[in-house]
Formats: sequence, C-alpha cells, structure tokens
Amino acid sequence: MGGFRKNELAEKRGYTYRLTRRQLLVATSAAALAGCAPGAVTPSASSSVAPGKELKIGLLLPFTGVYAELGNSMRRATELYLKQNDQKLANRHVTPVYADDANVTATGVAATQKFIDQDQVDVMMGVVPTPLAYGIRNAVHAAKLIFIDTNAGGNALTRDTTNCTPSCKSPYIFRASFSSYQISYPIGDYLSAKGTKEWFLAYANYGFGTESAADFTTGITKNGGAVTGKVAPPLSNPDFAPFVTQIKNQPTKNVYSFFSGADAIGFIKSWNSLGLPAAGYKMYGAGFLTEQDVLREVKDLANGAITSLFWAVELENAENKKFVADFQKSYPLLPDVFAVQQYDGMRALDEALKALGGDTSDKDKVVKALEDVTFKSPRGDFTFDKNTHNPIQDIYIREVKTQNGQTVNTISDKIAKVTDPGK
Amino acid sequence: MSPELVFQQALNGLSFGALLFILASGLSLVFGMMDVVNLAHGAFYMLGAYVALSVVQSTGSFWLAMLAAPLALGLLGFVLEPLLLRRLRGRHLDQVLLTIGVSLVIVDVIGQVWGREVRSLSAPAGLDGSVTLIGGVYPVYRLFVMAFGVALAAAMAVVYRRTRVGMLIRAGVQDAEMLGALGVNTNRLFASTFATGAALAGLAGVIAAPVFGVQPGMDTDPGLLYSLVVVVVGGLGTLSGAVAGSVLVGPADTFGKVLFQDVALAVIFAIVALVLLLKPTGLLGRIRIAR
Repeated sequence: MGGFRKNELAEKRGYTYRLTRRQLLVATSAAALAGCAPGAVTPSASSSVAPGKELKIGLLLPFTGVYAELGNSMRRATELYLKQNDQKLANRHVTPVYADDANVTATGVAATQKFIDQDQVDVMMGVVPTPLAYGIRNAVHAAKLIFIDTNAGGNALTRDTTNCTPSCKSPYIFRASFSSYQISYPIGDYLSAKGTKEWFLAYANYGFGTESAADFTTGITKNGGAVTGKVAPPLSNPDFAPFVTQIKNQPTKNVYSFFSGADAIGFIKSWNSLGLPAAGYKMYGAGFLTEQDVLREVKDLANGAITSLFWAVELENAENKKFVADFQKSYPLLPDVFAVQQYDGMRALDEALKALGGDTSDKDKVVKALEDVTFKSPRGDFTFDKNTHNPIQDIYIREVKTQNGQTVNTISDKIAKVTDPGK
Repeated sequence: MSPELVFQQALNGLSFGALLFILASGLSLVFGMMDVVNLAHGAFYMLGAYVALSVVQSTGSFWLAMLAAPLALGLLGFVLEPLLLRRLRGRHLDQVLLTIGVSLVIVDVIGQVWGREVRSLSAPAGLDGSVTLIGGVYPVYRLFVMAFGVALAAAMAVVYRRTRVGMLIRAGVQDAEMLGALGVNTNRLFASTFATGAALAGLAGVIAAPVFGVQPGMDTDPGLLYSLVVVVVGGLGTLSGAVAGSVLVGPADTFGKVLFQDVALAVIFAIVALVLLLKPTGLLGRIRIAR
C-alpha cells in the first residue's frame, strides 16, 4: 500500500518534471528543438540495411552493496553480447548507460527517472531486487519505456493484481529471468507427486523468500502434501546455527529452503557442522541455494541437495556450451544464472529489433515484436508469455554431486514449459 | 522448547556472544580511551577478514592469518591515528564523521582489490570437526570461539589491572589531559590504543569468518551494527561493559530470533531500547562528565 502511493508520487513528479523541461526547451531554444525533432522521426523511414541511430539502453544494476557481484555479472553478460555483435543490436549501435542502485530502492527510482528524463534511453534493462522493480513499475509504465527485467522475480510484476498492489503487469514490461512461482511451485508439485508429503520450510524472511515458500507450499498441497513447520531467518543473517538447531529438533526430515549468496553458504555450513546429514535430514531448495557462487565456497558440503532452476552451467545443449565457452574466453570465470538472464534479455531485444528493422519509434510495435520473439537460449527454448510477458521456460531438477573433484549441479529431470499462472 | 533444545540454543547464543565480544572489544577500548565512536570499526573488521582470506589462500594456514590480520590492521590503525584523527582531537563529532569516511574508503578499496563476490573461510584443521554433546553433535569451532572469547577477556582484564600499559589506559580514560601533564606521551598512547582497537577488529575478522562468512556488507551487518549494540547495551568504554553486553546480547539475539521469527530483525533493537530505557548508561557503563 505504502509502496503504491510512493509510485504514484514518483510518476506524478516525473510527469510534471518532463513537461517543464519541454516547455523550457521550447521557450529558450527553438534550434535545439528543431535539431531534436528530425531525429525522432527518421528511424521509421530508415531501412533495415542502413545503420540506424544510436540505441541507448539504460541498465539499472547494483555495483555496490551486497548484490554488487550480481550487477558485475550482468554487466559482463551485456558487454559479451555486444562484443559478439559488433556493439550493435539489429542495425543500431548500442550505447549502454549504467546506473548503480546500490540496493537502495530510492536510489534506483531516481536513476530510472534520470533514464526517462535526462538520458532518454530507448530501452531499460536490469534491476536485481524485487522491491526496486515494483518501485519503478509505474514510472516506466507511464513513460511507455520498454523495460526488460533481467532479474527481479516477484510474481506481481507480470500479473494482474487488485489495485496494482504491490505491483502489476504492464504492456511495456518484459521479464527475461523468472517469477518466484516458476522456481518454487513446480519442484513442490514434482516432489510431492513422487511421494514426499511432509515438509519443513526454511527461508529468508523477506518478500521474495516468503513468496517462494508460499508457491512451494501450493505445489505440495496440490498432491496432498503438508508443511509441518518453518524457520525464517532475516535476510543477510550472520549466524545460522540457531535456525539449523531448530530444524534438527523436529522430526520432518525433508527441508525445503530458500536462501542465496552468503545466506546459502551460512545455512549449508551450519547444516553440516550441526550434523544434519548424518541425522538423516535432506536438503532441497530453489536453485540459488546451490549456484556456483555458493558451491565454490561450500564444495562437497552441499552434496545431495536437490534444487530447481531454469538453467545450470552444466546444462547440455549447443547454445549453453557456446555461451559458457565464450564467457570464459572473455572473463576468467564461469558465467552464473544472472549472466544468462541478462544475456537472454539482450538476445530478446536484438531479435525484436531485427524484426522491426531497428525501428523503436512506435513502442507498441516494439511490444508486439518482443511478444513474438522466440529463440534457443542457453537455458533451452525461450519465449515470452504473451499475456504476462514472463518467460515460458523449462525448469530443471538438479542434484549437487562432486565429480572428479568438482562440485556441480547434475540435471536429474526436467519440467517442460512452465508458465506463470498470471492472467 | 525441550531441555536439550534450550541447552543447544544456549550454546549457540554463548558462542555467538563470544564472537560479539571479540568484535566489540576494540570499539569499546577506543571509545573509552579517546572518546571517539570509531565508525570505521566495522570496516576494520571486514578488512581483517579479507586479509585472512588472502593469507589462507596463499599459505593455507588459518593460524598465520590469525597473526597477520591483527598485525596488518594494527599497523593501519597506528598510521591512521596520527595522520587523520589526531588533527581533529577534541572535536569528537568531526572525528566520528571522519571515521565514516575512512570506512567508506576501506570498503571500496576491498571491493577493488578482492572483488565483490561472496566468500567464506573454513575452520582450521583440528577445529573443523564436531563433538557429541547433549542433544547431538556440536561444532568444535564454536566451542573454540567461546574459549577464545573468555581467554581474550581475561587477558585484557589482566593487562588493564596489572600492567603499566593498563594503568596508563585507565588513567587516560579518566583524564587524558592530566596524564599528558604528568609527562606521559599521550600521542603515542592514543596511537597505540587506536592501533590495538583496529587489531582487535582484524582479529574478529579472522575468528568470525568461518561462522559469519566474508562478503560485501559485512562491515555494517554484523560488523558495526552488532558491535555498537554490544557496547551500548553493556555500557560504553569499559571492558566489563563489553563482556556484559556480549553475554546478554548473544543469547538474547539467538533465542529472540528463533522464538519471535516474524520480528527477528527487531529483536536486537528491542533489547537496546529496553536497556536504554531502564539504564541509559548501559548495564555497566560509567557516568561520563561532559567535557
């Protein structure tokens, strides 16, 4: 409720601000206006062969604060894609405009307003935390700015919701990553259908964690499963021993968890040092629990954990092999899931622009072109759901194993074409 | 809660408290002596952890890291005090502001040098196992942390009460100006105290790394946040205050977080608010005369 009011305010402020800027331009510099106007008209006349005008992409990412490495990874993916395509999408030379949100919603909202008013970017991408994605939704929607969300997974961003609270879908917003539903509901459905009915939940107590836990619960109850209890440490919790101790002192052996990054490392380490594997407890979770950043630190301590995600670095397909190899040629590290999301976002935009001959002047045509995009991504077949603009994608069930000294996610099963239930 | 569970959580709480004591002792020392709330304390703690990470990566020795990190941070403190803080002596708020600036610089340098990925350290060989206690196995490292915390507190108490350095520190806390008038080189004393505070932060960085991890953001949470809470609850500027603060905050935070999970983040601040309401100087704080 509070978030919604803030959005309205930001939208209102952005709108009046833009008006005064224009009025100022008209009043003070007719020449500047004349110089600007043809630029806005020509792209529709240009053919697909002729080089189009510069394409500005505003990328709102965290480069400082706890999510800095996610931002760095997504920046690497952006630069890799541009390097592979002569710095062009379709016929248009790309100028990326990076802004650092530092994981502060207010900073990100201000940066978005700057993208709209000052930089006048053609497309916006990025956004790691869900509260920030919700926070900029109305401003982006009002400005008809094409925004491809390349991480934030809150369900509401691509759904119809009552009074648009806490957020809702927009024709101009696409998501190249996932919704929390997609990484938690299918695995709940899958595991309970296989006969595991009783579950204990452990999740980071913030919007995305509680949403994922709720989606998992829906998945298991569908097949007669039930949740017997939960622990919910705050996000960025320093000490996991108290919570793992709680798990150890209750009888349900199957534990579904939602943690990522430092929290996931702390959870897995405590899980082992308090002897849960030997006591027969089994770890399950959303894929972020066992992504490379975590596995690098915990190594074989995570062995046996079963998680679900739409990608894994070990995924066997031609696009993924090429993507991983190309990424490693440019950077001295393995790509992560955040890089894939950003890379796919760039690819989707590229495909849409190619279909339009690089013309982005009619936003509704860009929307239509993005809706029609379909390509083979490192994660498998990629396409946007026309109703919600959330990707329709395969979800992989992965098990952590240590093979030849390397701890990896091995793919054990696939749930095909998972669509978010948003209308 | 069954008795076994209470026992296990009490162990968790006390070992958490021991970590908090190691973390907060340096902040408390510097405040007591210099009247400066060193807001760079969390950044010192973070730097200690990253120095330890490098030492462990290159030599494989956790014990060497436990020497190197406090030494490196002590040196940094010994340079920073005369270089920056001394120029603002007597201007307490300006000094506090300065330490915020120092922390921002340190955190950014860490990002540039070590990157912004999430890292961790393993407990050293010999302490990485588990022992059987009431209610199942318990990690040896957490028992070691408790023992270390007690040993550090005891060592600090001995230095405070029984040595010439301790006498000087106690005198400096009472009235640094008078101490200078009596012929003691207070510049050197202040620099040494600040260096010791930084070294303790560095030590905390190493010892806490296997439990709290090594990652961006650790400078504020748990670093600065918890050390401030401990010294505010225990009482600013006294060793006994830091001990009392950690022994209370560790278990209270642990039990609070598992019993009131929906308001887990607020538990720690509820403790602070309650203590400040009932005893504004903290549990064992001394009454300060405004100077």
